Amino acid sequence: MPTVNYIDADGTRHVVEVPPGENVMRGALYNNVTGIVGECGGGLSCATCHCYVDPAWTGRVGPPASQDERDLLQAAACEVRPNSRLSCQIVMTEALDGLTVALPQTQY
Amino acid sequence: MAVDAAHPVPPSYPRRVGMDQVPPHVDKTLIRQAGITFSPEFLAAPHKFMADLHDKQPPLFYDVGMMGNAWQAIKHADALHILRNPEVFTNEGATPFPRDPDDYFYFIPQEIDPPHHRKYRNIVDPVFSPQGVLKLEGKIRALANALIDTFIAKGECEFAEDFGRPLPVTVFLDIMGLPQDMRDTFVSWAMDLLHSNNDRAVMQRAMDNITTYLKSAIAGKKAHPDDGVVSLIAHAAPGGVPLSDKEIFGFVCFLFIGGLDTVFATLNNIWLYLAQNPAKVAEMRADPDNINAQVEELLRVWSVTFSGRVLTRDYELRGVRLGKDDRITCILPACNFDPEVFPEPREVNFHRPRQTVLAFTVGVHSCMGAHLARLEIKIALQEWLKRIPEFSLKPGTQVEYRPGGVVGPEAVPLVWTA
Repeated sequence: MPTVNYIDADGTRHVVEVPPGENVMRGALYNNVTGIVGECGGGLSCATCHCYVDPAWTGRVGPPASQDERDLLQAAACEVRPNSRLSCQIVMTEALDGLTVALPQTQY
Repeated sequence: MAVDAAHPVPPSYPRRVGMDQVPPHVDKTLIRQAGITFSPEFLAAPHKFMADLHDKQPPLFYDVGMMGNAWQAIKHADALHILRNPEVFTNEGATPFPRDPDDYFYFIPQEIDPPHHRKYRNIVDPVFSPQGVLKLEGKIRALANALIDTFIAKGECEFAEDFGRPLPVTVFLDIMGLPQDMRDTFVSWAMDLLHSNNDRAVMQRAMDNITTYLKSAIAGKKAHPDDGVVSLIAHAAPGGVPLSDKEIFGFVCFLFIGGLDTVFATLNNIWLYLAQNPAKVAEMRADPDNINAQVEELLRVWSVTFSGRVLTRDYELRGVRLGKDDRITCILPACNFDPEVFPEPREVNFHRPRQTVLAFTVGVHSCMGAHLARLEIKIALQEWLKRIPEFSLKPGTQVEYRPGGVVGPEAVPLVWTA
């Protein structure tokens, strides 16, 4: 099964198996990675699953998937960078095996 | 202080009702008797009443009334803060429905705070996730059209009875795996529980009926599993440990109560508004690709419910001293009219920048049915607008609102040229 590396703001690394078709937000929630909150459950209405895609992966993950995601990112609690994404909008595939995302200091 | 959901005990918080039970720490200048959810002024136009709170009341005030004394928060930012800090503002014991103290249970996951909360959400999240509910799209669309078929030629309908209720309740019972022929009975129980004007005897009787029915339904699903949510919960074993009977019951019971009334009330509110605002309807018809923003904006101005919490300790918010065991209610519809977050808040504007709309609350207890609700509202709007020409309120209609914690009109009689 493909894995995702979640890097907490303090540098702690969580290596989690996330099945293809599942999104990166829920991969964190289901495995006690607390740096992602995902309070709306993936409905593009909260911006609490903000992550920074590792520069080595931005090409494969791509930019925000919709105008809603771009708008909501502006409401994120921490600095928004060119590699910012809402992790609920990143759907896992075999091609993303080994994906690394860094988590912001806070989601609120 | 995490509760043990397998061994529930009634909360020890005092229930304070009336002016003589205002605790001494409450700033006297912040005490109000605003009549939220039941006064004639509220029931005349509830959403206007809640929008007006920003002009008439301080941002945080202590309301004394027959529903129980509680702080009332109307600022968007305060609601986010309260709802996102369960360590201070707990859900444990904050749910108002009566329960037998000798056979107590928790509403799950509503009354369970982190860390145990996630265990329960994980069981049902796949069903209620955006991808999960999308599987129902075809079914919901077909149902919406079947309902429209029953009245389109007549040129009129009573929207609440003919569409607003059967659409979401039928979908919900399907998801749960509960029988459709019990629909009206279930709805009447929910009405008694949620809209009895706080008549504890009526609420208790409704709760007894619901309890007896659901216990037998759960036993049935244990013996004969199916792919409905009641069965899913009855057979769940997070971390290899099966849920206890109390957990299963509290979980199913909570979904049951939450699923019967809220989308119904939301649809009724929205259609009542649209019937009186043909220009907005025309705008929607002309811009079908903007449907998601339209749904979100209609949810903002027509949200239906409240989020209550209990203070776990003394706390200061907005310079106001709150005490341990105080109750606090976020008036979500009022927060959605906060002019600091939504400029010209009373104006329905389908092109607002995306903000957190508090229709479904936020924080860990954010509504698990939100994606289903959004999908149902979207499909209902799309199919209705495709088939029903310009419609309006039946002449002579006096709109009446139900008192209670889910805000919507009693009936919405509509007419159009068939």
